[in-house]
Amino acid sequence: MSIRELALVVFTILTQMTVGSFLVLGVVHFYTVRKKGMEAADRLSDRALLALVPILALAMLVSLLHLGNPLKAPLAVSNVASSWLSREILFTVIFGCCAALFVLLQYRKIGSFQVRNKIAWIAGLAGLALVYCMSRVYMIPTQPAWNSMATPISFYTTTLLLGSLAMGVAFIVNYSIESRKDTGCATDQCDVLFGALRGIAVVSIVLLGVEFVVQPVYLGYLATTSAATQASASHIVQDFSSVFILRLLLVFLGAGVFGAFLYKNTASDGSEAQVKYLGYGAFSLVLVAEVLGRFLFYFSEFRIGV
Amino acid sequence: MAKKNLLTETLNETLLNRRSFLKWSSALGGTAALTGGVNVGLKAVDKTAPASEDKTLTVSCYHNCGGRCVLGAVVKEGTVSRIVADPSKETKPDDPPRAIPCLRGRSQTRRVYAPDRLKYPLKRVGKRGEGKFERISWDEALDTIAGEMKRIKKQYGNESFYFHYASGTQWKGPDGRPPIRRLMRLFGGYTDYYNTYSTACYRAVMPYITGGSGNSANDVLNSNLIVLFGDNSVVNRNGGDNFGCYLLDAKKKGVKIISVDPMLTDTAVATEAEWIPIYPGTDVALIAALSHVIVEEDLYDKQFMKTHAVGFDEDTLPPDALRNSSWIAYIKGNADGVEKTPQWAEKITGIPANRIIQLARQIATSKPVAMFQGWGWQRRAYGEQPVRALPVLAAMTGNFGIKGGGPGMRPSGKRFPMGSMPLPPNPVKGRIPVFLWPDFITRGTEMTDGPRDRVKDVKRIKANMKFMWNHGGNTIINQHSDINLTKKILEDDSKLEFIVVVDNNMTPSAKFADILLPETTSFEIESLLTGEGHTEKGTVAWAIFNHKLIEPLYESKEIYWMCDQLANRLGIGDQFRDGHKNKKEWLLDMVAEARKKIPDFPSYEEFRKMGVYKIKDDKPTIAFENFVKDPKKYPLSTPTGKIEVYSPHLASQNDPKEIPAIPKYIPEWEGVSDPLRKKFPLLMVTAHAVQRSHSTFDNVDYLQEAHPQAFWINPLDAGKRGIKNGDQIKVFNDRGEVHLPAFVTNRVRPGVTNMPQGAWYTPDAKGIDTRGSANVLTKYYPTPFAKGNPQHTNLVQVEKI
Amino acid sequence: MTRQYAFHVDISKCTGCKTCQVACKDKNNLPSGIRWRRVFQYEGGEWIEKDGQMIPSNVFAYFVSSACMHCEKPICEQVCPTKATYKREDGIVLIDQDRCIGCRYCSWACPYGAPQFNPEINAMSKCTFCYDLIEKGESPACVDSCPFRAVDFGPLEEIRAKFGTFSSPAPLPKPDITHPAIVYTPNGSTKSSGDVSGQLKNIEEV
Repeated sequence: MSIRELALVVFTILTQMTVGSFLVLGVVHFYTVRKKGMEAADRLSDRALLALVPILALAMLVSLLHLGNPLKAPLAVSNVASSWLSREILFTVIFGCCAALFVLLQYRKIGSFQVRNKIAWIAGLAGLALVYCMSRVYMIPTQPAWNSMATPISFYTTTLLLGSLAMGVAFIVNYSIESRKDTGCATDQCDVLFGALRGIAVVSIVLLGVEFVVQPVYLGYLATTSAATQASASHIVQDFSSVFILRLLLVFLGAGVFGAFLYKNTASDGSEAQVKYLGYGAFSLVLVAEVLGRFLFYFSEFRIGV
Repeated sequence: MAKKNLLTETLNETLLNRRSFLKWSSALGGTAALTGGVNVGLKAVDKTAPASEDKTLTVSCYHNCGGRCVLGAVVKEGTVSRIVADPSKETKPDDPPRAIPCLRGRSQTRRVYAPDRLKYPLKRVGKRGEGKFERISWDEALDTIAGEMKRIKKQYGNESFYFHYASGTQWKGPDGRPPIRRLMRLFGGYTDYYNTYSTACYRAVMPYITGGSGNSANDVLNSNLIVLFGDNSVVNRNGGDNFGCYLLDAKKKGVKIISVDPMLTDTAVATEAEWIPIYPGTDVALIAALSHVIVEEDLYDKQFMKTHAVGFDEDTLPPDALRNSSWIAYIKGNADGVEKTPQWAEKITGIPANRIIQLARQIATSKPVAMFQGWGWQRRAYGEQPVRALPVLAAMTGNFGIKGGGPGMRPSGKRFPMGSMPLPPNPVKGRIPVFLWPDFITRGTEMTDGPRDRVKDVKRIKANMKFMWNHGGNTIINQHSDINLTKKILEDDSKLEFIVVVDNNMTPSAKFADILLPETTSFEIESLLTGEGHTEKGTVAWAIFNHKLIEPLYESKEIYWMCDQLANRLGIGDQFRDGHKNKKEWLLDMVAEARKKIPDFPSYEEFRKMGVYKIKDDKPTIAFENFVKDPKKYPLSTPTGKIEVYSPHLASQNDPKEIPAIPKYIPEWEGVSDPLRKKFPLLMVTAHAVQRSHSTFDNVDYLQEAHPQAFWINPLDAGKRGIKNGDQIKVFNDRGEVHLPAFVTNRVRPGVTNMPQGAWYTPDAKGIDTRGSANVLTKYYPTPFAKGNPQHTNLVQVEKI
Repeated sequence: MTRQYAFHVDISKCTGCKTCQVACKDKNNLPSGIRWRRVFQYEGGEWIEKDGQMIPSNVFAYFVSSACMHCEKPICEQVCPTKATYKREDGIVLIDQDRCIGCRYCSWACPYGAPQFNPEINAMSKCTFCYDLIEKGESPACVDSCPFRAVDFGPLEEIRAKFGTFSSPAPLPKPDITHPAIVYTPNGSTKSSGDVSGQLKNIEEV
């Protein structure tokens, strides 16, 4: 694997994680406002929000490494009419700008909630569109292994799974900072945190379910569709079987086992320390699993023809 | 000095790429002062050409490829921007076919500008063969050579000089092989050689069977059936006017083609020939069985064989021949008790008996049938036998000397009557069979005209080889059998004391030089060549004016200049020049010679403008047509004047086992039936590769990329060894080990493998070749009569690395 | 002017020598690793034992010379994010190397492997149909180079009128994705796209 493909792995994973995080933040914020009020919600999410911008910026920078001529990268939006790659770049830019703008306004509390809310909605929708375009980039008729519903499903799964668990980590870090600054609010914040983490644990387990349904179906599709997809399937199952198994194992451990414990510990009065490590652990395991999964995705490339 | 080195290094790097090369060549014009007067010779020539206007000038390929294609070089601002094909046109149906160059000709630019180009005269500083050299001046180089020539002449005599066989440079006249020969003969002579590495057996026995080659190549269009025996002409005669093209034309015309070959050759693929896979080295068994069927079924021309052949049956044997020594007696098993039935041949050849019977009937009843032999089957342990066997089949089936048929030899073609540089007689008389040159080093004075060495023109060689000239050849290591053995002989510089190599690339042979001289390429000289190649070009021949396109690169020089300079140092300058002021005057002589034979031939300057001059006969040549009609009036050039199925001359060799009077199947050492197969089970041939002309062009990047060197092996043999297509493997026997990728293909018979010959010997620290150089594995063991090279007869084992 | 230029390759004349590939590289001064024209060797069949002898059963081989097909529906043009890849009025598909950012998306998409990344210029490169030569009234380098006269070119309609419409010998892909502007003359053993009785054999392609 060359630096170029590595760049693609980093770009797609980080971008999807950012989009997912943004969406998860929105949802968590929405429910926290309803339950605990605006201030508690902002305290939970503002710092996490701030982390998103540099991650996205990093993702976009890394994506340039994939290009032969990065200086001309702006030309990449020239063909929105027919190229999904142009569309992907376009939505990356829209999402990035809206998200950054929102973060700025939200963090500094500039403008009304309604205005900020609208920008957040635009950013969120652009993010969803971005992940869609991203999957369509790979859904070309000459790449049968990629040209299936498995690509958008797995991209959206990655988006939400990594987004959720990343935000779980962000909330935990945020809580540590908040509770050090102001021990008074600890219990209240702890409730909010535990509530959010509980939700994240549920989402993770559900998405794990999705992955465990999609993967066998997808392999079945590869094994039966054409010579080209069979080549991809045998690549995954034979040449990269250990990576494939490791990836499934890690995602099961991270999203499933750690998720379940996370759920259990946040539902009862679990120890903060345990919850913290479960949150970090779940994210780390799933991140590694998703990176491996993305490597496999690129390795399964098998263009038809010559 | 530091600047000089820096410049040289930079050049070495930039030369890898033509684009940067061009950039440098123009930049250097202004930096001559900076380089301290080093003549890197990169400046553009042809100042008459207006800048930026493209001009196409003819140049020629000049290698031993069996073709002689016409290249057009598009010259732009004094550099060669690209190669185009023969500029002549094929508009009318009877226009001669264009000599369109193949991939090798098309890559000439990459060879001229190759990183391996020799740049300066070099003197060896390390162990011989190690490849360690030091740059010296031309004066020092020539003085050293002249000094060694005088010393060795005084110490050992002229008999100890040897001018080695080489085929990398095929110029006529003063740019080719004549200048060194001329110089050496004026210097008192040298021990010469006979034979080639291509056709030793073919040429040696041809006088004792037909006395000549076959019908012209374009006659295949008149055939009903073409049977190729080990003939891969689209590879070995690539180029747009060669035999391969005629075979394809014949296919298009609907002529059926059969290929008897261990491999499904590119020729068989392209001509959609029916493939009859045979074990290599067993062809005579097949031909005997075919004869057996034809005789049994009474399908042969009895009358013709009575009147035109010697020894086909007992009645036509010479009076002094033994009873049962005729061909009929052989196939019936009258002498040896073995009847040469299809069932007998099946066990040897691997061809099912039914198929042999069917093929016999096809050949006997499809008249006219053109049967051709390749030269691969005679580069084998008993290479003399098949060469003589196929004409017997051609004759008995009535195809000898008829239109669309032929005598079962190679096709013939037209020659162009261009002069050359005249050579005085060689005062030294002995000639060795070329394949035995290492023996001339180790035991020259023991070599005689007896059956072991078959030296010619003298009874005994008077000296051991002490001085070797190697001009444009890679046969002192790469192309000779058993590289590891040759290497040992050459490394000992107390035996062969001095080797001069003249070449333009750092070949494996060049690395064995004591003095290494850089020669110009076709782009850097003005010269003449004739379009003959191996003359398998139908009825057209031509002369090519080779334009000088660029100034000689670095310090490379023409061979004529080198010899002229040496002649001065040896005090024979005037005799060498013989009144000629320069090289061009020798070329003018050649043109004058051509004009004597072809009154229409242009003057030198007109010819320069024309580039190519073609001559053509209207009808195909039918070899021995008159002989067939009237054998008394038009006898063959054989000793008996007839088709010598039985050769009195071969009978007189008194070696009926290995040099039989009639062609016979002789089981080979390291052949299909050798018990050594228990240890080394696979037969290995070393066929020609399309990306090289022998070893020429092996260093050209475009060609390596197009056809990477690979080892042909059948999936059944590969599967047993866990080898997949493209895997790196080791191929070895008791003589050496070679590492290269496997080409796992159904196109080769199980049990048979092919390592295409010519890849440059590239040993690693352990002496294992890493590039696929076949001669690491071949055996130095000459054929019995011709003393030819048996480089296709090998046993090897293969393992995955 | 023609609406769509096309190549014609006569498989029944092709010996697999790759002069076309080398001539292309010489004319276009391409670095190692870039082969705008490639020649595939497709081979099939097997060796079986019959009455104690090994014999070939349906063993066949043929060569397919292939470059950019200058498709009527070029997928490379469709996916190119910068519009660097474009189709001229005469059907020739070109890459504007000043616009190309070297994302290599076209090389993922093209089923003929035509666009190839040139590290010397950090941009994609591909067969230009030698439009510079055509405009001068000459033939593309590959057409002019074939010693066996197996490669030809012309307006697609004319080429089809002369040589038929077969465009998909194995191992090439089916033509329905991109509608290649190519006509092949098959030989007796040529199989069609999708054939599974043979394999692509060139070791430089595996």
